[in-house]
Amino acid sequence: MDKIARIDMSTAGGPTVTMTELGEYAGLGGRAMTSIIIATEVHPLAHPLGAENKLVIAPGMLSGTAGAMTGRLSVGCKSPLTGTIKESNAGGQAAQVLARLGYAAIILEGKPPTDDLHKIHISKDGIKITVDNTLRLLDNYPAVAKLREEYGDKVAYMTIGSAGERKLLAASIACTDPELRPTRHCGRGGVGAVMGAKGIKAIIIDDAGMKMRPPKDPERYRDANRKFVEGLRKHPVTGEGLPAYGTNILTNILNEAGGYPTRNFKSGVYEGGSKLSGEAQAELEIKRGGKATHGCHRGCVIQCSGIYNDADGNYITKQPEYETVWSHGGHCGIDDLDTVARLDYLDDNIGVDTIDMGVAIGVAMDAGVIPFGDKEGAIRLVEEVGKGTPLGRILGSGAAITGKVFGVERVPVVKDQALPAYDPRPIQGIGVTYATTTQGADHTAGYAIATNILKVGGDVDPLKTEGQVELSRNLQIATAAIDSTGMCLFIAFAIMDQPETFQALLDMLGSFYGITMTGDDVVALGKKVLSAERDFNKRAGFTAAHDRLPRFFYTEAIEPHNQVFQITDEELDSVFNW
Amino acid sequence: MRRPYIGTRRHNKGIVMTNTTEPDNSPPLRLRLRVPAKAVVTFSPLLQAGFVVTARTGCSVKTLLCGQFGIDEEYVTRRITTMFLDSRPVDKMDSTLVRDGATLALSCAMPGLVGATLRRGGFYAAFREGISCREEESPVRPGIGSLKIKLFNLLMGELGPLFLGRGIIVAASAMEELLAGSSVEFLASCWEVSVDTAPAQVTAMIKNDIFKGREKVRLTVLFDPPVEVLEDDL
Repeated sequence: MDKIARIDMSTAGGPTVTMTELGEYAGLGGRAMTSIIIATEVHPLAHPLGAENKLVIAPGMLSGTAGAMTGRLSVGCKSPLTGTIKESNAGGQAAQVLARLGYAAIILEGKPPTDDLHKIHISKDGIKITVDNTLRLLDNYPAVAKLREEYGDKVAYMTIGSAGERKLLAASIACTDPELRPTRHCGRGGVGAVMGAKGIKAIIIDDAGMKMRPPKDPERYRDANRKFVEGLRKHPVTGEGLPAYGTNILTNILNEAGGYPTRNFKSGVYEGGSKLSGEAQAELEIKRGGKATHGCHRGCVIQCSGIYNDADGNYITKQPEYETVWSHGGHCGIDDLDTVARLDYLDDNIGVDTIDMGVAIGVAMDAGVIPFGDKEGAIRLVEEVGKGTPLGRILGSGAAITGKVFGVERVPVVKDQALPAYDPRPIQGIGVTYATTTQGADHTAGYAIATNILKVGGDVDPLKTEGQVELSRNLQIATAAIDSTGMCLFIAFAIMDQPETFQALLDMLGSFYGITMTGDDVVALGKKVLSAERDFNKRAGFTAAHDRLPRFFYTEAIEPHNQVFQITDEELDSVFNW
Repeated sequence: MRRPYIGTRRHNKGIVMTNTTEPDNSPPLRLRLRVPAKAVVTFSPLLQAGFVVTARTGCSVKTLLCGQFGIDEEYVTRRITTMFLDSRPVDKMDSTLVRDGATLALSCAMPGLVGATLRRGGFYAAFREGISCREEESPVRPGIGSLKIKLFNLLMGELGPLFLGRGIIVAASAMEELLAGSSVEFLASCWEVSVDTAPAQVTAMIKNDIFKGREKVRLTVLFDPPVEVLEDDL
């Protein structure tokens, strides 16, 4: 990965491509690449859908190699949803294929002078951009099907659905999985709207004739990767729980802990929780001839995804993740997995973030648009998004806009991005991350739980309340670093518990680049990324007042523990003191 | 990983799990059946939603699991890494006491930050400090009581046969729903079926609406081959 392609969509004669060397961005990957480019090159007050904004697509530092779990793709821009800097990442095949072609980043710049739709074809022969208005308003599944007729099955596709074309604030960018289904989404923050604003419908990435990226020290890299895979396979979370049940294994646990936000955050326990659980989901998938274990990209050894079929054995969607099952399930008072699967398919097809979409539906239910528990009504509302009706455009712009339009007081967003499936009143520490992350409410912003191994910020007493702020800080630093490697965040469980697996990860990075990598280097990378993001947000007008949870979390106690959020503003303001 | 539990003979050493008085006066319908070992997954809706057992209360969680239920201590320590007592995460198994009427939920290690947060004695326990199980302030009187047990994820397959083999009490409506939603293959695989000790057939039970008007069912399931008695591992 020794080059960056800049595609300027503004030029009168059609888009132009400029190849550059890495320059000041050398050594960066994934989130580090996207965030530092955006922080350096985009005016912080730029309109997110305007010509000044850029959309940066970057594979991780180890993407395109023979290493396991290296298939995350980062997409960055100024977010139209939050107004902050944004990095949204996804699995699928795109990162591996783009990295093998040698691109450290593709930067989409400017804004086309016409409303033509473009597709970008990237191969070893270069980058070709063509107008293709026949794709207009095709959603992701039919768009990929049409593109496959032209480009075949040995490529990776990135597309936007009708939501991205309409520049809805919850619009996502779809990446195809190994079976070429558009199921893996850069979902958060409206990155699909930015791609739509650039007039780009599809990116086709073809690595024919290319090989795996070679490490500097192949033998050491192979050995490190072997130990890394062994570590993942022997750990009970990455080797057993996730492969068997997927991320939805969390439903029963969160519900039992009283931390499962129910009917728009009115309760922490959902009476229908066990019907939505990962255990029930896996059993149903197997019974119907689907799969409870499936990888979102080649080289994944955890295989936390699956295939969800209907009662007749026909494909509906990929296995909905925990956050999706929650947002369309318990959050909306719906305890039916078939309905959730149908909604997941619609989200993927239209191209919207499943979290913001589901939370918006729940907020609309709270406003009385349809009652909680109305399965058919929920499907109808998401279909409105696909049709682009006025109501659909409101809902497809996310929970914050929906709450404002319908006059709802209880709107679970931070920096206008919807909270995911973990209530911050019983689990206060995650509320610290929701409030302070540079990205708007995001559970994955503080997800790299291996901070004990990294020793970020030294040892913290986990049993002291005041440790929550420091733990959140450390988690956010570690996560920013992991997001830059292209590694799936789920590796965090194995590296937290098994120091030898963490060492194997460091050895993979070190042997690939021919350097010695230490935990301190990882921490320094994480801090560098967060500092750039914080600085961008500050220049964009964000202050400490934006690093807060909505007031209802401070005033409404939630059952069964009857707690409110109690972390003080002063504590929240100290998260980024380093 | 060691096998989860020890032999049935060890359970007889003064341990009460079954054949005791029920919490109220209405006797449950007694349903007993034998199924193939692989059919344990069929019972997962009951296991994860929770079932009632009778046990000695007033003891610690660890004593309950190892001493009364006979689950191997190493298995409890290494495998049951997440547990909740009345919705509160348990950190100290030795000193957390179980009261009559409590709900105990058991799980393997969970993914995600919150999964790590809810772990027993985990590094991120501070994140949920406000809901964690605390030492009992008032004394817990020992006695015989009823407990609701919930088994999640991998523990359903590993510990489910233990509890099902000894008998669990579930709502009659839940049992009816389970059988009504079961596959034809599962129903055909049940044998040695009895209702209140009288021989019966599962399909006939459903047809004859035997759960109507009943509140509870005491369900005993035997597996063939048996999924129990692992004295060799000890």
